[in-house]
Amino acid sequence: MSRNSALFLIGVAVVVALGFLMPWVLKNPFYFFAGYVVLQYVTIATGWNILGGYAGYINFGAAGFFGAGVYLSAFLFTTFGLPLPLCILAAAVFGAILGVLMGYLTLRIQGVYFAIATLGLVVVLETIVHNISALGGASGMAVYGPRPPSWSPGPSQYNFTVMLVIAAVSVALARFVEISWIGRGLRAVRASEDAAECSGVPTLRLKLLACALSGAVLAAAGAPYPFYTSFVEPVTAFSLIIGLNAIAMPLIGGTKSWAGPVLGALLLASVQQIATVTISSELNILFVGLVLIAFVAFAPGGIADLFGRRQGRARS
Amino acid sequence: MKTRREFHKLAVAAAAGLAAPAILGRKAFAQDKPIRVGASVSLTGPLASTKNGLIGYELWRDDVNAAGGLLGRKVELVIYDDQSSAANVPAIYSKLVDVDACDVLFSPYGANLSAPVMPFIKQRDLFMIGMFGLAGNDVAKHDKFFHSGPWGPNSGRDWARGFFDLAKAQGVAKIAIINADLEFSKNAAKGGAEVAKEYGMEVVFNQSYPPNTSDFSSIIRNINAADPDAIFIASYPADSTAIIRGVKEIGISDKVKLFGGAMIGPQYGALLGSLGPELNGLVNSHTFVPEPTMQTPAIKGFFDRYTPIAVKQGVEPLGFYIPPFYYVAGELAAAAIKGSNSVDPAKMAEFLHANTVDTIAGKIAFNEIGDWKERRVLMVQLRGIEGNDLEQFRSPGRQVILDPPSLKTGDLAAPYNKARTS
Repeated sequence: MSRNSALFLIGVAVVVALGFLMPWVLKNPFYFFAGYVVLQYVTIATGWNILGGYAGYINFGAAGFFGAGVYLSAFLFTTFGLPLPLCILAAAVFGAILGVLMGYLTLRIQGVYFAIATLGLVVVLETIVHNISALGGASGMAVYGPRPPSWSPGPSQYNFTVMLVIAAVSVALARFVEISWIGRGLRAVRASEDAAECSGVPTLRLKLLACALSGAVLAAAGAPYPFYTSFVEPVTAFSLIIGLNAIAMPLIGGTKSWAGPVLGALLLASVQQIATVTISSELNILFVGLVLIAFVAFAPGGIADLFGRRQGRARS
Repeated sequence: MKTRREFHKLAVAAAAGLAAPAILGRKAFAQDKPIRVGASVSLTGPLASTKNGLIGYELWRDDVNAAGGLLGRKVELVIYDDQSSAANVPAIYSKLVDVDACDVLFSPYGANLSAPVMPFIKQRDLFMIGMFGLAGNDVAKHDKFFHSGPWGPNSGRDWARGFFDLAKAQGVAKIAIINADLEFSKNAAKGGAEVAKEYGMEVVFNQSYPPNTSDFSSIIRNINAADPDAIFIASYPADSTAIIRGVKEIGISDKVKLFGGAMIGPQYGALLGSLGPELNGLVNSHTFVPEPTMQTPAIKGFFDRYTPIAVKQGVEPLGFYIPPFYYVAGELAAAAIKGSNSVDPAKMAEFLHANTVDTIAGKIAFNEIGDWKERRVLMVQLRGIEGNDLEQFRSPGRQVILDPPSLKTGDLAAPYNKARTS
């Protein structure tokens, strides 16, 4: 293991440990409700970036994977009483399978056509859920979650810690993909798919792998959601906002490294959470737009790229 | 390579974006510790058409404060926008309770947005007035939750029973049911089918359609082929328009005595204005219409103040459906606080369970899970509509109350075809 990797893992372990301790220090549950959403978006942005950032395939279907995770977890819990960790694991496996299936069907097309096809996935899944009465259909499904374990003071704190662990694992996975042979291959695909294919890069296999990993992370991000809201319904679970945020956050943070989506999600989701409870959401959306335009115009590589360049310049 | 100037521009833009919420959102804290009433309202998103309810809250707050407040304290509203998304609701209500320290809560609009908050208020044992959520407390059964809407007990099934009572009185034996594939209309259709069965009616046609359907010609032809005596429709505004227009184009059997039931849209000015005379004959649900049995000085006074504000804000100018009940929510909270002389949830709830409250929408008494003891959903028939002028709907006789019998202002004009063209 390289020194950087060791430092990264220590950092992740420290953050997770702090997350477990925080509920006992910070008593107000509101911060855990808001923090949950921020961490959920860290996971979503990280998951999206594996395919959208590393491989350059813009996926508008993040909400489809997220919603699939939400519903699978809600169904498994209410029907079979599966514990939350197993629900998350099942959602991740389901997301991976869904990712491979979507990949097989759509990876032959590129650019804007791929984006449209992925958007279709959301509509298809939402329509399916609308028409399955076991999932509550359009009326939704009430999910009264389990009592939190004794090491957590309340349900909101427990959900927060669970989401933190999912986010930490997702970021570690994204970093592993980035620095391993998979990341090198995906970068080659993004630079020029034809050239990569000619050089012996197994492009289809790599893209399918990226789809599976991305799908697994996105679905895992949705798995604790039923326990957060205690209620799931298709319009919110498959909301376009999730898909848009999944794209906006990595673009603002930077799509080339694992740190980009994390920074973008922390920044944007925090602003959204603060704005929701301070100013009107019309202005909230305006601010998101302003920040997005500012980054596209002045820093197309995102925050991570900006930091990298400034650091590089300082060193030179 | 980025230039220093570009970096500075970016920094300024990002800082402005990040700092603005904090600056604009700064709130003044009153010194005399007002009673805080917290709610989320769908100011944006698909349910933004319900934001005119906020005018009801604000008028109530102004009235209460003008009368000296409650328990000698001013009333302050704390409102957040849930963006019509259930995902935002848990954090908003935690903020209202844990940070803003609200004494009274009003729920978000409707069943799907209210559902996420029910476990929270039950777990924390909080007092809440529910806003238009059908059967909102049937699962949680929280004893400190009270509906401001007139759905009545067992509302998941029974709220549109008035339509079937009318059908039964007309000797309807065969009924057709169509509904949009969305929450409210699906529940209405399901409840309707059960009531029809209970009344011994045969459901000869029962079909749901996808939410974005705009052409109903084949559905209307199929309904005609099934030959029903009444048609129960649970639709949303866009499809309500398309169905009315489709019937005008294709026609419907002379046997049909009742047409409508649970169509969303004909309660609002936008649709009343655009469809105008095409709505004649329709029998549909409502919560308030300016008929003599309902028009009291109190509610007239409410609308006299509501209308200019609504026109100025560019929201629904009639406001019959939602805003009065947002005012009622405030009145219920005020009655509970004054009656129990406290803002303690248990004492407030105890008062509302034990007493009948006089509101602008009439007297309200609650059962053990906070439903109105008596269902007071109106079934009105639209009649005598000429042209597209909205002002005509402020006069009696345009939306005649057929049910409930206690508020009735006229008899059903049937069959539908005759009522439609007369």
